[in-house]
Amino acid sequence: MTNIVLLDSKIHADLKIQATPSAKLGDAQRFVPVAVGEFAHLVAYYPILFSKDAETGAFYCGVMLGIDEGENLFLPEGRDIYRPLNLQRGPFFTAGGNIAIDLDHPRVGTSGHSIFEAGEPSPYLNGIIGLFRELKPALEQTKIFVDTLLDSKLIEPIDISLSFDDGSRRQLEGLYTVNQDRMKNLADGKVVEFFQRGYLQAMYTMIASLKQIPALAMRKNALLAR
Amino acid sequence: MQTLNTSGPVRNIVIVGGGIAGWLTAGVIAARHQGPMKSGFTVTLVEAPEIKNIDVDEGTWPTLRTTLEKMGVSETELFRRCDATFRQGARFARWTTGALDDGYYHPLMPPQGFHQVNLAPHWLEQPGNRSFCDSVTPQGALCDQGLAPKTVATPEYQAVANYAYHLDAGKFAPFLQKHCTERLGVRHVSADVQSVRRAANGDIAGLALKQGGEVTGDLFVDCTGFAALLLGKELGVGFRDCGDVLFCDTALVVQVPYETPDDAIASHTISTAQSAGWTWDIGLPTRRSVGYVYSSRHIGEDQAADELMRYIGPQAKGLAPRKIPFRGGYRETFWKNNCVAVGQAAGFLEPLESSAILLVELSAKLIAEQMPANREVMEIVSARFNEVTHYRWGRIIDFLKLHYVLTRRPEKFWRDNTDPATVPGRLKNLLQIWKYQAPWLLDEFNRLEEVFPAASYQYVLYGMGFRTQIDPCDNDASRPLAVQHMRENAAMAGRLRAALPRNRDLVRKIQDYGLQPI
Repeated sequence: MTNIVLLDSKIHADLKIQATPSAKLGDAQRFVPVAVGEFAHLVAYYPILFSKDAETGAFYCGVMLGIDEGENLFLPEGRDIYRPLNLQRGPFFTAGGNIAIDLDHPRVGTSGHSIFEAGEPSPYLNGIIGLFRELKPALEQTKIFVDTLLDSKLIEPIDISLSFDDGSRRQLEGLYTVNQDRMKNLADGKVVEFFQRGYLQAMYTMIASLKQIPALAMRKNALLAR
Repeated sequence: MQTLNTSGPVRNIVIVGGGIAGWLTAGVIAARHQGPMKSGFTVTLVEAPEIKNIDVDEGTWPTLRTTLEKMGVSETELFRRCDATFRQGARFARWTTGALDDGYYHPLMPPQGFHQVNLAPHWLEQPGNRSFCDSVTPQGALCDQGLAPKTVATPEYQAVANYAYHLDAGKFAPFLQKHCTERLGVRHVSADVQSVRRAANGDIAGLALKQGGEVTGDLFVDCTGFAALLLGKELGVGFRDCGDVLFCDTALVVQVPYETPDDAIASHTISTAQSAGWTWDIGLPTRRSVGYVYSSRHIGEDQAADELMRYIGPQAKGLAPRKIPFRGGYRETFWKNNCVAVGQAAGFLEPLESSAILLVELSAKLIAEQMPANREVMEIVSARFNEVTHYRWGRIIDFLKLHYVLTRRPEKFWRDNTDPATVPGRLKNLLQIWKYQAPWLLDEFNRLEEVFPAASYQYVLYGMGFRTQIDPCDNDASRPLAVQHMRENAAMAGRLRAALPRNRDLVRKIQDYGLQPI
């Protein structure tokens, strides 16, 4: 359940947030939405793909953190690797220009980082505010990126079939990537336009990130072998 | 002097009459000939500015998805602009015994593994009273629960469970018109045809317009509805009445509001047998469309109206049905000289299996794909078109009649329907054969694009309690495969029931968010 309210320095003066990456604290997610601006960080660890929002059917960009539902295979590394902004923001949301908090989020409680110190935003909260300053426009730009690719028919489904040493298999559905054939046949004008908007780089980064799928499968294999 | 060529290329197609038949035909032909249209091939639609089409909400077949997709129509737009909903087949209520719980589905999904194994004889040998439909396809169960055939994440025109549409016919024709004229290069001439100019060989050379000027063409498509102005009136092709087989000749039509905006939308057509015909009941987003199709020889209009209102119940209060008389049958020839009829100009049958738009699609596609290159080969093409189209009308009439012949209802309308003298010979023979052998692929169903495949006959036959005498030994070889398919069917039914949204919820989501193209 969620219980999202606007953040208030009086009402929420004593609330604390546990920021550590942890399955118990909401990080057990197989697929997390990301922004184009994060791609350069993400590609070092995760496959970056498209998927569809179950509620609206709309395409969005995300990273695969696991193979099975509710599985994040990167949690053992904790803070040592780049975490998608959507996980870093923890229980916080934006509501218009304000910050909101999900009071039912497992990270919210009486231990961890203070949100307010003497009625003023704590350094931790300032970090979150800074994060949203980055994330919000980034997600809007990402939506335009996705819509542009869709219009140019540059998105195609990808079939991912994985076999593991314990004999089990996984067939991953509902994932999409860049259509490389169509990308190669882009009209000259589009190539220039996409280059200038940074879309060519983003598309190449997504293509390169496909190489993280076997790496992710190896993590899963190791887990299954334990 | 005539300027018409009798051996020259066929380059200019003139469709007379708008409405769904005209615009769908224009769209199918124009979409198929986008290449030639860059170099002089034209599609022109002449439509009388004043004419009012008979707008009755329609049920369609899954073929319409392919037809619209090929025309480049967005499915999202279809839902938003034509008040479309999903149709997963039809439920025939009270057709067999007339009891309240009597009913069966004719779903759009064929039985599991239909092209590998015939499940009908395997179902027949099973004890118990699980229906044929539920034993071989999950679709009846989906309809029972009012579920949609896909999710908002399923791309446009793709299905999880096979589907067609219910839609507002009054909105569908203008929607097609806009697409044809704006996207496919169809010329729209809004004018009345005053007279037809004929060439020496009897061909239509041109149409003189009341508003002035003439439209000339190489091939004329008559989509003028019941009037059949070109093929019937001008070229004198007669009408073959089928009232001796299918008795219904009148429809009373009414639009029924929902009680609340969140009422469930049935994801199938509900067809309920009445004393002298049957009622259709289809759900659009904002209202239901209900009609009583009856035989005026068997019931008077007032009595029929009472029966219709009783069927609708309290929601009927204050509604006044509209009466539409019709004549079931089809043209003796569909394509004569350089004129071919599509839609009601070609014929009309009671909408028991939503065949009207389907037949328009099939004819339009045949014309578009077999488009004679020149006048010389037109006779060959038209002869083939007539043969195929006659075959199709005959088979649809057989299939519609099948719904009536197995009834045990006591009313005179239904007894008269079972009189062997009213059953076409071919259907009579098939019913004999089916006593000993369940219909399947090789029966009579060997034509490409058979309108109603053997699967449809199975659903109606076994839905109505027909029993084929089978020899269980005949089943031995295919039993393992059949058991496997029936098991898969049960598993699939469970999966789909868990995954699919309510019909209304998905229709609303498509209106809000749209479907993705991939």
